[in-house]
Amino acid sequence: MKIHDKIIDDLVPKKFNKKDVIWVISLVVIILVGLIAYIDQLIKGQEVTNMRDYALWGIYISNFVFFVATSFVGTVTVAVLRLTNNSWRTPLVRIAEIISVAAIIMAGITIMIDMARPDRLLNLFIHARLQSPITWDVIIIPTYIVISLLLLYFPLLPDFAILKNRFEKKSPKLSKIYGKLSLNWTGNKAQKLLQKRSIRIIAIMIIPVGLLLQTIDAWLFSTTYRIGWDSTNFAPYFISGAFVAGLGALVTLIYIVRKTKKLENYITDYHFDKLGKFLALACLTYLYFNINEYLIPLFTAKKGESIHLETLFTGSYSVIFWLVTVVGLILPIIVLLFKKGRKPLPMFYIGLIVVIGSWWKRFVIVTPTLLHPFLPIQGVPESWHHYFPSMHEWLITFATLAMALLIITLCIRFLPVIPIQRTIDELKQQNIDKDKNIKS
Amino acid sequence: MKNQLNFRFIFLVLISAFFVSTGVQHLNAQTKKNKVRLKADYVKIIDGEMYLNIAASSKINKKNVKVSGIELTIFNVINDEKRALGNVTTNLKGETKFFLKSINAITPDSTNTYNLTVLFNGNDTFKKAKKSISFKNAEIKAKHIIKDSINYITATLIDKSTKEPIINESLDIQVQRLFNPLKVGDEFNYTDENGFIIIPVENGIPGINGELIIEVVLNDNDIYGTVKAIVNAPIGSPIVNEDTYEQRTLWAPRNKTPLFILIFANLLIIGMWGTIIYLITNLFKINKTKNSTL
Repeated sequence: MKIHDKIIDDLVPKKFNKKDVIWVISLVVIILVGLIAYIDQLIKGQEVTNMRDYALWGIYISNFVFFVATSFVGTVTVAVLRLTNNSWRTPLVRIAEIISVAAIIMAGITIMIDMARPDRLLNLFIHARLQSPITWDVIIIPTYIVISLLLLYFPLLPDFAILKNRFEKKSPKLSKIYGKLSLNWTGNKAQKLLQKRSIRIIAIMIIPVGLLLQTIDAWLFSTTYRIGWDSTNFAPYFISGAFVAGLGALVTLIYIVRKTKKLENYITDYHFDKLGKFLALACLTYLYFNINEYLIPLFTAKKGESIHLETLFTGSYSVIFWLVTVVGLILPIIVLLFKKGRKPLPMFYIGLIVVIGSWWKRFVIVTPTLLHPFLPIQGVPESWHHYFPSMHEWLITFATLAMALLIITLCIRFLPVIPIQRTIDELKQQNIDKDKNIKS
Repeated sequence: MKNQLNFRFIFLVLISAFFVSTGVQHLNAQTKKNKVRLKADYVKIIDGEMYLNIAASSKINKKNVKVSGIELTIFNVINDEKRALGNVTTNLKGETKFFLKSINAITPDSTNTYNLTVLFNGNDTFKKAKKSISFKNAEIKAKHIIKDSINYITATLIDKSTKEPIINESLDIQVQRLFNPLKVGDEFNYTDENGFIIIPVENGIPGINGELIIEVVLNDNDIYGTVKAIVNAPIGSPIVNEDTYEQRTLWAPRNKTPLFILIFANLLIIGMWGTIIYLITNLFKINKTKNSTL
């Protein structure tokens, strides 16, 4: 009983300390600055961005693709590891679910920022053409948001009941909210059966939906006849890229949560080692698709394509391209191949590098292609042949990233980051197994 | 006092200088009027309209510029007498058309020549200009015949006033196309002593419903101007309409979505959202089974 109490003590959400408050205030300030920039963009129009007839998709779309990719972590860690009965996932899944929810919500918001006229949002549904990948995106993103929320919510039910009891005296208001959210969870057989069945359905469902989301995201590009996007390889390329981005975000966040919440007993080196191997596998798969994506065009490139590849390999985008490929992908693989590289601290840095690399990778996918159309536009100003985001674009993008971090921070503040009931159940099961072994 | 006089003197000089310079400028502007070049061609379509194709241009700063928006008056000149037929104004390309109601609306001179004059009266920018044009009334009688399973276009060119054939003039035979006509036969097809030509037309020229619109043209002739006869001949190979507008394609409007996309996408949507609704109902069930003893 005491062990159970200790687990609950360790895992219940705790109040913000000073550092947390400063962190939240910083995020709110960044969001407010971005909001002002966005209002200005609404008033003056997309003219305030540096997007023109050539680079008609810029940093917003790169950011959108990054968020979509990161949201894949819910599918990968929660669903795949659950269906393959990998029990080491337990302390990691909640954080993965939170990242997934935050990222997919922000993906939806980011695409609206890029569309420029939020008042016309309904037209996407009213005038939707089912042949258009844009319409598929409009359908799949809300679907994935709802599924991700359900994936986060169902396993939380027993924990909400625990939190309700826990805060009954300390904070009755919070206890009441947790009580409402627990949906009268008593842990009876019928509830457990319904919960178990529902989680299993979501775990199965989120895999094809997650794959569809990434595929549609890739098809947004590959159905557009453009140099660099015109590839049958694009959907698996995006899926493997999302695998990397999601896991990178998960590793980084798990390290921070472990350190700030002092969860070293729950998230151990063993978990980092497992995650490290998982990330290495993801990076290797992504590297394979990268080689496919750039090597074959290198052999078969016609004039337009060779100019595009030249821009990436030796031209104006070469620094970002090689940094993303070598530092953001090859270096993590090398480090993760060694056991020491899969320790928490190196893993944190690797995760951070992978996340930053993943963000810039989306920029490299989106922008250089747009600057090399098959039919160049005549008589446009020279400046339109180049693209670098304007101050508005940077401020708004930083605000969206801050918003994602704020959602994650608030979730971590009010939700148990490690499933309490499941940890207790697993411990019980371990004790039963131990007893059985002693008796036998 | 002396200073005051000086001031008045200077003021008067400045005012005078202003008016003088303005006057000189005005005079300069008047002397800088540009010449207008008028071009006029007579076109007659048999059993159709007849008109003058008029173009106005000017050489300004060594560049040929189309003169738009100028009003031109067209006169019929009979000996020394001038009869106004009407006015036209040039468009942005400096071009205009003056339609003649019929050949009877104008009067020829004693040699059966019709003399018309296009007159521009001049304005602030351009000088007065005039262009005279003379032509006789010619006619082309054209038809399609089949001889030994070969399609031919025959045409007879006659002077309508004298009813005499016009000999040794080249006629163009061409099929109307979207942009430029497609020439048929030799480069030059001269009329014989009867003003007659016969030109074979090859098979396989595409036409809407197999219909070819063939033109027989006396082109920009010094005496007769441009005369054109049109023959409709069902001798082309029918154009197969490859337009997919009415079909269900990936690029069609939304009411023409391909069925496989409609079915597949809707099945997916129903499947996904059906499951989501089921999961949400499970939440309600969990809420209600608080005291279940199951």
